[in-house]
Amino acid sequence: MRRPAFVILLAALAFGVPQSAAAEKHAAQTPVEHLVVLMQENHTFDNYFGLYPGADGIPAGVCMPVDPTKGEKPCVTPFHIGTRDVEPTDPDHSQSTFERQYRGGRLDGFVHALNLRNQDGRIAMGYYDERDLQFYWNLARQYVLYDRFFSSAQGGSTVNHVFWVAGKAPPTGDRVSRTGLEVETIFDRLQQAGVSWKFYVQNYDPTLTYRTISAAPPNRASQVTWVPLLGIDRFLDDPRLNGHIVDLGEYYKDLENGTLPAVAYIAPSGPSEHPPSSIQSGQTFVRTLVNSLMQSTSWSSSAFLVAYDDWGGWYDHVKPPQVDKWGYGFRVPAFVVSPYARHGVVDHTVLDFTSILRFVEDNWRIRPLAQRDANANSIASAFDFTAPPRDAVMIPARSPAASKDATSSPRTGPIYVTYAVGLACLVALLGWAAIDRTRRRRAGAAGR
Amino acid sequence: MPSKVDDLSSVEQTDWTGHVSWRDRAASAVILRHEVVTTATLAGVATLAAVLRLWRLDAVGYNSDEVVYAGQAAAITGVDDLAPYFPVFRAHPLLFQAVLSLFYRFDTADVVGRAVSAGFGVATVLLVFLLGRSLYDRRVGLVAALLMAVMPYHVVVSRQVLLDGPTTFFSTLTIYLLGRFGMSQRPVWLYAAGGAMGLTLLSKETSVLLIGSAYAFLALTGDLRLRLRDGIASLGIAVGMFAIYPLTPVLAGAPKTGNAYLVWQLFRRPNHGWSFYFTEVPVAIGIGVVAVALLGVWVLRSRRTWRETLLYSTIVVPIVFFELWPVKGFQYLLPIAPPLAVLAARTIVQAPAVRGWGTKTAVVLTTLVAVPTALASWDAIQPPQGSTFLAGTGGVPGGREAGRWIARNTPGGSQMITIGPSMANIVEYYGLRQANGLAVSPNPLHRNPAYDPVPNPDLEVRSNNVQYLVWDAYSAGRSPFFERKLLSYVDRYNGRAVHTETTSVRTSDGQLATEPVIVVYQVHP
Repeated sequence: MRRPAFVILLAALAFGVPQSAAAEKHAAQTPVEHLVVLMQENHTFDNYFGLYPGADGIPAGVCMPVDPTKGEKPCVTPFHIGTRDVEPTDPDHSQSTFERQYRGGRLDGFVHALNLRNQDGRIAMGYYDERDLQFYWNLARQYVLYDRFFSSAQGGSTVNHVFWVAGKAPPTGDRVSRTGLEVETIFDRLQQAGVSWKFYVQNYDPTLTYRTISAAPPNRASQVTWVPLLGIDRFLDDPRLNGHIVDLGEYYKDLENGTLPAVAYIAPSGPSEHPPSSIQSGQTFVRTLVNSLMQSTSWSSSAFLVAYDDWGGWYDHVKPPQVDKWGYGFRVPAFVVSPYARHGVVDHTVLDFTSILRFVEDNWRIRPLAQRDANANSIASAFDFTAPPRDAVMIPARSPAASKDATSSPRTGPIYVTYAVGLACLVALLGWAAIDRTRRRRAGAAGR
Repeated sequence: MPSKVDDLSSVEQTDWTGHVSWRDRAASAVILRHEVVTTATLAGVATLAAVLRLWRLDAVGYNSDEVVYAGQAAAITGVDDLAPYFPVFRAHPLLFQAVLSLFYRFDTADVVGRAVSAGFGVATVLLVFLLGRSLYDRRVGLVAALLMAVMPYHVVVSRQVLLDGPTTFFSTLTIYLLGRFGMSQRPVWLYAAGGAMGLTLLSKETSVLLIGSAYAFLALTGDLRLRLRDGIASLGIAVGMFAIYPLTPVLAGAPKTGNAYLVWQLFRRPNHGWSFYFTEVPVAIGIGVVAVALLGVWVLRSRRTWRETLLYSTIVVPIVFFELWPVKGFQYLLPIAPPLAVLAARTIVQAPAVRGWGTKTAVVLTTLVAVPTALASWDAIQPPQGSTFLAGTGGVPGGREAGRWIARNTPGGSQMITIGPSMANIVEYYGLRQANGLAVSPNPLHRNPAYDPVPNPDLEVRSNNVQYLVWDAYSAGRSPFFERKLLSYVDRYNGRAVHTETTSVRTSDGQLATEPVIVVYQVHP
């Protein structure tokens, strides 16, 4: 099995590319010297930010037909999850469901497609709002929320994760290959360029790869999907590459030690927000990652991007542009936190996961991996490098209205007035006493 | 008992033509000389008082109580950074804080707050002179002022941003005005005393027992002509002025704030044993001062007048009350210091005369009492060494430095947990980060309503709502249980010491050693 990238890499190492020259050539072109990307799971933009002010959210009056082949009625209106008798579930998000929901661009099959999967299709029209996503909404208020960030492919996790690292779809489509994945990734390019990188994996089990996935417990098999490098032989066999795939605990150590790599990808485990798991635990997870970055010396030269790998079967009202046979898929939530991120901006730039690659390639002078990332817009539209970096300010977990600090301050004028009146009373009484004393003395002197 | 000079000074010596005779000129010269000597001596005493109250005033940062009052004053001034942590209406009336806030308009440095407090302290020393002179003579006034100037109890407290310094100033003024009433029998002095009492209450509401002292004085003094209506009018003035306390929050648009504090203060659990005041306060006042004052009670018992009744009342009532009141604080008995100083001075000045020992004995006695007391004060105002701390006795070593490190090196919006609420206050004041004490009870009946408990600290850290834990040796000494609890979270949540403040401590063999007093841990789930 030939592995061109691996061979090139070995050749580069063997012939000894001058380190300093490479480092200079591939130094960061912007103040962002560290890019951290976290890929969460399975939500659409409308599902998370459909009611966010200023964003392209759920249109007024929308009502999704239960069966679009039989007309517009009956239909299901968007609803806040938990307010109807709809059981939270994991909406189906296979490629066939995508096609039924997409319906040739009519976007009217969201309920029906799930009903055909024996699910309660109404769940597709459920949404979360600030009551549920206080931290994320607070983040959006302070940093940049993208409302035109599409999943790269009209499929599920596997294909989108491969787009995330390679800028192209795997030959096997939306399923993990049992024979390994042959694709060049951004990490190969970074390795060749001498740019530091790491793939942090929460609850990382190094023995769990595409080779062992059939024996893995179902709740752990997602590690191979969410970390596509574990499906590529050279990243399993070459210690110089494999050593970059580490447990998430190293993220905190790297922050403490000031050794955060230039490019860091993070794959979650439990708190991935994959429905129907807790979105609160996901927010806590993201808050911990972001807070730790803010607490570190790396903050002033970093950007932290959170995205969601696919739409998860949820409703989204924006028709995705068709850029090739794979995508785009529906919009997903995405936001970036950085001292260089613009303040409280909703960015309307059309992006997908390869836009992350495009930024990496632009910032560290790396050749594009594929047509998709070469043509993609960069996530850099979120940044304003002309302004000085913003100080780290932790984003509250609760919305401003619910926080203690929102209490109004009392007026201080009455404090001065009332206490001044008290002091004036004493002065007046002392004056009265002094006058009385003087009068008595004079009266005494006159009496003598 | 007025002296000869005071007698001379109180009468205009003229003949029938209005011309001043040669004898009167001589008397006037004596009076002038005494006035010059008195003024010069008093200026020296005031200077000494100022030196002891200002020397290295800023060497150590605020303690917990100080940051609360300074924080309130800053909030009144409109310092936005502190307002979220220190609401204006939190506990106690706001007379001192309002005065302080006027100075904070120029600068909110620690030294400004303490200098204002020290100013009240020096003014109290001058008032003690007036009190001693009006009740007895200028010599008693001068000696009393000297004892007050060097008294560690008053020196230490008036170097801090505490309410007790201003309270003692106004209570001394009240006693002085009651004395003027005793001498003149004119009700206007009683009204003025009511006004001063009102301001005493507006300094700190616990001084309400000054009303009890005044009542005891008037009730036990048979030779004063007191009309009931004058007494009621004086009390009405005091109560009317005190009404400013509950009225102000209503006018300021915060009617429900601060009300629960007094209730909690009345019914909170005892924090010290019954012997606390007997072991702490006499030493702080100066054993010599206390001994001489008590000696005078016996030696001069035959000379007892309403003057002594006034002084006894203002000493005994607070002692009895605070001894019976379960909640005890080091500085609560400070208002007894001025009358005690006057009593001690009276003994020093009058007892030798009664015994026929002469003026030199008084000078020697003054020296014997004042010098050790002054040395004790000098010792007390040196920056503390050690990792233990008694509330009200001074600043907290390392607290300001740790707080400022937090402000500089932790992201805005970081949240912290400390062992107790005292360090939480300091972290909030200097660090501008929200901090809560583990030791704050989740039961509202068992906690200061100004504090927020952390009902589930484990969850708070696990949820990353809290990112830092702050250990301090002072709280650890008082609450070993909560210290262990805090350190268990440090272990459990990847705690890493990111900052340590140290202080010098004297070891058992007399050597100076460095010991950590505050450690800031960064934690994450």
